[in-house]
This record gives sequence, structure tokens and C-alpha cells, in this order.
Amino acid sequence: MSETRRSRVPLQPILLGVGFFMLVVISAATVWLVKQSSTDAALVAHTLGVQDKLSNLLLDLRRAESGQRGYLFTNEPAYLDDYRAAIPDAWLMLRQLQEVTSDNPERTAELQRIAGLMGDKIAEMDRSIELNATGNREAARALVLGGSGRDLMNGMRDLTERAIRDEGRLLGLRTTTSQNNNLRLLFITLAGAVLIVLIGAASIFLVQRSRRESEQARRTVEATNANLQQIVEYRTADLTEANEEIQRFAYIVSHDLRSPLVNIMGFTGELESLRQDIFDEMQKLVAEMARLNALSPNETETVEKLGKDFDEAIRFIKTSIANMDRLINAVLKLSREGRRQFNPETIDMGAMLTTISETVAHRATELGATIAVDQLPPVESDRLAVQQVFANLIDNALKYGRAGEATQITVSGRTAGSKVLYDVRDNGRGIDPRDHQRVFELFRRSGPQDRPGEGIGLAHVRALVRRLGGTMTLSSELGKGSTFTVTLPRRWSVENRSAA
Amino acid sequence: MNSKITEMPVEIVMVEDDEGHARLIEKNIRRAGVNNNILPFTNGTDAVNFLFGADGTGASNKTKPLLILLDLNLPDMTGVDILKRVKSNEHLKRIPVVVLTTTDDAVEIQRCYDLGCNVYITKPVNYENFAHAIRQLGLFFSVIQVPAAE
Repeated sequence: MSETRRSRVPLQPILLGVGFFMLVVISAATVWLVKQSSTDAALVAHTLGVQDKLSNLLLDLRRAESGQRGYLFTNEPAYLDDYRAAIPDAWLMLRQLQEVTSDNPERTAELQRIAGLMGDKIAEMDRSIELNATGNREAARALVLGGSGRDLMNGMRDLTERAIRDEGRLLGLRTTTSQNNNLRLLFITLAGAVLIVLIGAASIFLVQRSRRESEQARRTVEATNANLQQIVEYRTADLTEANEEIQRFAYIVSHDLRSPLVNIMGFTGELESLRQDIFDEMQKLVAEMARLNALSPNETETVEKLGKDFDEAIRFIKTSIANMDRLINAVLKLSREGRRQFNPETIDMGAMLTTISETVAHRATELGATIAVDQLPPVESDRLAVQQVFANLIDNALKYGRAGEATQITVSGRTAGSKVLYDVRDNGRGIDPRDHQRVFELFRRSGPQDRPGEGIGLAHVRALVRRLGGTMTLSSELGKGSTFTVTLPRRWSVENRSAA
Repeated sequence: MNSKITEMPVEIVMVEDDEGHARLIEKNIRRAGVNNNILPFTNGTDAVNFLFGADGTGASNKTKPLLILLDLNLPDMTGVDILKRVKSNEHLKRIPVVVLTTTDDAVEIQRCYDLGCNVYITKPVNYENFAHAIRQLGLFFSVIQVPAAE
């Protein structure tokens, strides 16, 4: 999938680039062709103008000739006016023609020839008019009859007509070129349009495809998300189940361990009373033997020693059983705490800590200890659990004071975002940094073992705090004191409880 | 302890899977001067078979004055089940049931009383306390009135 995607990514810009390029080409071609066609039109107009002027030239000469003929024929000077007006017109026309066809050497040469013939013709006509004007009418008639004027005129006509035909040929050529150009313009425009339509279609297709793909990807992501969520739910459920399983296991184990313990304890008790019976019996026998003087002196000692050994053995058994019972009870208590349902409520922490200090006030007075409670932020949590946490911490602080130093306990608190932090600080004996983790473990204790306890308190506290969705940290220096920091969520709910 | 009307001596049905416990209980009951016959059962199935008889109706025991000493943790069923069945049986529901178990769970105790248990005693681990409790129970047995069988 990533393979095809990689090859598809640049296609869209390429298509856009091609489309843009096509537009530029079409525009340029159109501009060029439009310009071309205007040039073509100008050329056509030019050709038509040249043809027109050639015809006019011929016409002017014919006008001059007909003026000359009319004058010679009628001797009417009015014809002479026509003649005189036509001659400059013809010269003007010729000059104009020479100007506009200066780019055509062939035409220039032709016009040169026409100009020559024109000069000859006009000279011939001038002479005939002059002869007539001087009264030499016959000579003028003979000049006209001589036919040189007619020949000149015919030659000029042929030349002019040939030039007009040639211009007509040029016109045809130029028209064809113009038509071709127009066709080309049409073709290019159409081809461009078709290409743009194709590119547009391709773009739409690509957009649609990428939209479909992104839709597909979105669905995949959604499915994956849902799947992930489900996995998380499963894992959480698994974890919760595993925790419950451990709680049940702890409960069952501790509970079932008590049963054989009852037997051990019970039959140890029975043994004790049996020992009483047996030794009473032996005492009687010893007394009897003493009465019979059959008693060796070690006999009494042996009996006494046996009795002591027996008592020692029984004592060890009983102490061990009592220890084991305490431990089992501790496990049982922890597992029971782990199963208790929490009922969150808003707790006035200041009031709670004051109550706890009042409970231990008697002990504190005996020890010369002081407990100070600062302003504490309230928390929404399980009252009993929170109370147990702080009662344990205060109890520990009282228990592990430093010799020769009045114990001072300070409880302070602060809010940090969605959490509340409470510090229980003392100036007691402190905890070796190596034991900072260990003190939170079940049945583990730190420092000199000169105070009663099983090593349950802090393990219990940490388990409770974890269940309350919080954490416990300890900072302590040996011989300086300890600070236990309890971090709790401001509002406890089933969701934010930690899995621990 | 006896049933005055039928003049039949009360029998104690002891359902206890741990034979050591059974022995200790019996010893201490005897020490309290209770000499009634004790029928020990080490599992729930045997106890149920005895109590409800071959036909499972409990009718076979309707003429016998009985007292049940019941442990809750049995290998094949929980004592709570037996308690429930006894207390909902037409012929057996008046039999006094003493639950004697290691569990001191408040919920469990509540449940047993809800189901009609007459006395709930937690076995103390300390043997002196245990022996004392059982002897007290024995003394209690010697004074309580067991309802006459039908």
C-alpha cells in the first residue's frame, strides 16, 4: 500500500503542471495566430489596395487619352482640361504604387517599365496636343494614326493587367495561408481543450481515488482505534481480574492457613496438659522411689531437665504459632482492605487530622511530642481509607522518634492541578536511603528493631493510597527525620483508581 | 441437653472437614460435661445425605431432635449452602444451627444470620481461647431447649 502511495503522490502536481503548460501553449499559440491572422488580413487589404491602384492608374491614363482624343477630334478646350487633370492623378497613383510595393522588387521593376511607357505615352499625347494647338492638325492626326500611342497604351495595359493578376495570385496565396492559420488555431484550441478536459478528468479521478483512499485509511484508523480501545479494555479487565484473583488468593490462603494453625495450637495445648499429667505421674513415681530409697541423685535432675526441655520446645512452638497467626492476620487484613468498596465523599482534611491527633494526644503528651496541622486542601475520597493512611503515618512518626529530642510532627498540604499533596514531616530517627523502598514492603522494617510492630503499616498505607489512585513518596535522612508525601487525586472515582 | 417431650436424647450433627478440629471440638464439648451423641461428617455431601435422607426430603429426620454444628469451609460445598437448605426445608428448619468456623468476615456473619443461623462462633486460633469458647458452647448446649421433633 505504501508502495503505490509513494508512486501516486507526485502525479497530481505533474498533471496540474501539464495542464498549466498546455494553457500557456494554447494562449501563446492563440496570440501568435491572432497576430498572424491580422497580419494576413493587412496583407490581403494591401494586395487589394495595390490592385485598386493599378486599375486607377490605368483608368487615369485612359481618362487622359480620352481627353486628348476628344480635344483632337473636337478642338474643344474642355477636353484639354480633362486631359490636364488626369495626368497628375496618374503620376500620383504611380508614386503611391511605387511606395506601397517598394518591398516587391519584381513589382518595382514592372512599375519602372510602366513609368517609362507612361512617360513615352504622355510625351506622345503632349506632342499631338501641341501640334494641334499650333494649328498643325494634320500632323497631330498623323501622330495619333501612327499607332505608336496605341501600342504604348496597349503595352501599359498588358503590364498593368499582368501586375493585377499577379497581385490576385498573391491574394489567393495569402488567403490560403490565413485560412490554414485559422484552421491551425482552431485545431490547437480544440486539442488544448480536449487535453485540459482529459487532465481535469484525470485530476477528478485522482482526487476521487485519494479521497477514497483517505476514507479507507480513516476507517482503518478508526477500526484500529476501536480495536486498541478494546485491547485496553480487555487488558484493564484482565488486570482487574488478576488483582481480584490475587486478593481472593491472599484471602483464601490466609484463611485456609488458619485452619491447620488451629490444630497445631490446639494439639500443642493438649500436649501441654498431657505433659502436666505425665510429669505429675513422674513426680509421684520419683517421690515413691525416694520413699523406697531407690532414687539415684541424678534421677531428679534428669526429670527436671526433661521438663525444662519439654517446656522450651512447647514455648518455641507457641511463639512461632503466635507469629504466624499475626502474619496471616496481616495478610487477611490487607486482602480484606483490597476488597472493600470505596465511598468517595468530600473530606475536610484539617478536621480529620485534628481528630487523629486528638486520638493520639495522650501518647504524644507522654512522649513530649507535638503535632502541628497546617491549612489542608480538602479531598474527595474514601473517608475510612484516607483516615487509615494518615493515622498510620502519624503513628509511625510518634513511634520512631529520636532519643533526646522532642518529636515534632507537621502535616501540610497543597493542591497541584487535579492532585492534592499532603506531607507528614517528622524530626525522628529517619530511614536509611537503602531502605526507602523496603519500608513499603510487607513484613519489612528498617533501623533497630526496638519497637513493636510487624512491618505491615506502610505496606497497608501504600496499598490504600494506590487503590485511592494516588502515590506515596518518602524523603528521609538518617538521624534527621522523614517526610512522607501522599499524592491523591482531588476527586476519586472508579475510573481513576490505579490498577495496583 | 434433651428433648423433654419425646424423651429422645438430642444428637449433635458435626459437619467439620478438619479431623483435628473435630477432635478438639469433641474433647472440649465433653469437658463441659455434654455427653450427647456426636455424629461427625467430614464433608458436605455426607452431611446432606444424612440430614435429608435417601429421598432428599428430610422427612427421615423429622422425629429426631438434632442440633447442627456447621463449618463453612468444606471441600465439596460451602456450609452456607447446607445452612440455606436446612433452613428452607419444611422438616428441618427448626433445628438449631451453630456455625463454627475460622471466618470472621462481617459480611459472611451477616449472611449466615440472614439465612437463619442461630449462633455464629469464630474459632479462635489461640488454643486457650478455642478451648474456652467450645467449653462455653458446651455449657450453652446443656441449657438450651431444642424444639421437639414433629
